[in-house]
Amino acid sequence: MFDLLLAGVENILHLKYLVPLFLGTFVGLIGGALPGVTITMTIIIVLPFTFGMDPLQGLATMTGVYVGGSAGGAITAALIGIPGSPSAITTTFDGFPMTQKGQPGRAIWLGIWSSCFGGLLAGVFLIGATGPLAAIALEFGPWEYFALFVFALSMVAGLTEGSLVKGLLSGAIGLAITIVGFDPIMSVPRLTLGTEFLRGGFPFLPVLIGIFAFAQLMTDIEKMNESEQLSAPIKAPPLVVSHLKVLWEIISRPFLFVWSTLVGILIGVLPAIGGSAATVMAYDQAKKFSKHPERFGKGNPEGIIASEASCNANVGGSLVTIMAFGIPGDAVTAVMLGAMTIHGIQSGPLFVSQHPTIAYGIYAAYLLAHPLMVLICAFGARLFLRVVTVPKSMLIPNVLVLCVIGAFALNNIMEDVVVLLLFGLVGYALVKARFPLAPLILGLILGDQIEVNLLRAIMSDPNPWLFFTRPISGSLLALSVASVIFALWQHHRHKGRAENVEQEPDF
Amino acid sequence: MTRDGIAGLICLALSIAMLVLIRGLPQSSFVPIGPDFYPRIVLIIMAVLSVMLIASDLWRQRKHATAAAAGAEPAPEKRNYRLVGITFVVFAGYVALLPLVGYRVATFLFMAALQAMMEPPRNARRWAVVLISALATTAISYVVFDNLLSVLLPRGSWTGW
Repeated sequence: MFDLLLAGVENILHLKYLVPLFLGTFVGLIGGALPGVTITMTIIIVLPFTFGMDPLQGLATMTGVYVGGSAGGAITAALIGIPGSPSAITTTFDGFPMTQKGQPGRAIWLGIWSSCFGGLLAGVFLIGATGPLAAIALEFGPWEYFALFVFALSMVAGLTEGSLVKGLLSGAIGLAITIVGFDPIMSVPRLTLGTEFLRGGFPFLPVLIGIFAFAQLMTDIEKMNESEQLSAPIKAPPLVVSHLKVLWEIISRPFLFVWSTLVGILIGVLPAIGGSAATVMAYDQAKKFSKHPERFGKGNPEGIIASEASCNANVGGSLVTIMAFGIPGDAVTAVMLGAMTIHGIQSGPLFVSQHPTIAYGIYAAYLLAHPLMVLICAFGARLFLRVVTVPKSMLIPNVLVLCVIGAFALNNIMEDVVVLLLFGLVGYALVKARFPLAPLILGLILGDQIEVNLLRAIMSDPNPWLFFTRPISGSLLALSVASVIFALWQHHRHKGRAENVEQEPDF
Repeated sequence: MTRDGIAGLICLALSIAMLVLIRGLPQSSFVPIGPDFYPRIVLIIMAVLSVMLIASDLWRQRKHATAAAAGAEPAPEKRNYRLVGITFVVFAGYVALLPLVGYRVATFLFMAALQAMMEPPRNARRWAVVLISALATTAISYVVFDNLLSVLLPRGSWTGW
């Protein structure tokens, strides 16, 4: 394993891969720092640039965006009190008060170093756990795969805030989209409305880009008014700080740091939940375990460490799920999964053994992205603050053009761009109807796999009870029911609190 | 009926329409399950969930109707839906123009139009900024994608480029 990892690091250190990784991390940091541009949006913007690259170059770029984006949110969160990405919301709680106390350098570097170490610790888990988890998944038959995917879907639908019915319905809509096109056994066209284009089903990436990009951009446009458009330039404060002191502040709190990292990894491993759940949970835990919970929210370094360590650890966790099971940990890995299929790589339990160069290349890119991120921040943190003043009237049309290029360049057909527009409308409508988007995306990704494994299981043995009597399959289905019951209990406890509030879409 | 109820009705209508459309798909004597087996399960689940959403909406409406006098609802945040509509229309126009006039012309027009709609230029200088940034985006993206990254961009059937 170490030989392969060393070979991966050696490979990534070639300029051919190092330059895309550096650029990805740089763009990720800017995207993460820009309020209103999430990491998902950044990776969607970067996607068309990776089409002309080789698979590892493309995936190294995306890994860089993912790592950089997760840390970038902390820059604006700590310095101007606006989270650059939703997952950085908890960094504002203590980062901004620390800046207001005249310690902007301490605030930002606590965040960056915590992100770096949290991410690297999660990297150990990523490298150590992916192989064994994939080996377990290799023992799965179609019953177990079917049950695993149903469990993933029910858990995500249940964990979303708001209505459980809407979460489940959102997942069902995602599954229904995948019905369109040839059936996997006899290749009978279904719901194609007589069109040639739909015979292959809706193309995954234009649907994904349409739903996420429009849901996000249109929500931003809704809030545009005269006063917001003419944003004043932000004056960047000096960020001088003793790095040794900051590092000591983190190292002297080993329990807090390791626990927050573990929370981040765990939430990352759970499919399609996303970074903001990780940071909120880690912050909450840090507050509960702290001897001085009253200091939180007033510039407490513990709040920044918990938030940022868990944020980047979440990236490592998400990569485990996608590499071991082929299930995306969040929207960013969903786009990465789509990018892999463009290059003809099937993600799943066989991925690491069939494509060791790419798999260990991703590990190496993930590990190297962290020091690169620190390096870029050392030189460019103040620069990022200038970038955030780019007016939305200029930013949004550019993003839309890149979405069009991303959709068109997949197959060089205009129908894919029409699908982008169609699902842009669907995505925005779903956000306005307060539907969570994570279950839909998971349904969209897993739909084909659920069908194939269901049919395989029934064709090899028509006894439907096998789904319940085979130990792993039965346990996973029982867990699916348990997750729905748990969600019902939780919704009952918080009844009415979140139901009728217009929530911001969390990507 | 609130947004939930309407969304439930749309989902119900869609699932029923799709259930009707998958009827009569050819079956095979070699395979015990037809191509409509799995879609039917998914669509029935979708229909049941839609009905549950409609029912819960109606139930909540009844409860709210009895408790309506309790207090005034807070005023909703003002949102610029007009601009959202304009953006969708301009974007649809861009998608329609792309295969006709090609990437370069359509992107320039789209960029200029959307920027002008989002932040109407009040003087000649602002117009210049809008036009230059539209031109820069078009030129840079074309050079980077078409020339450097070998990503083909749409050609126009009217213009030929």
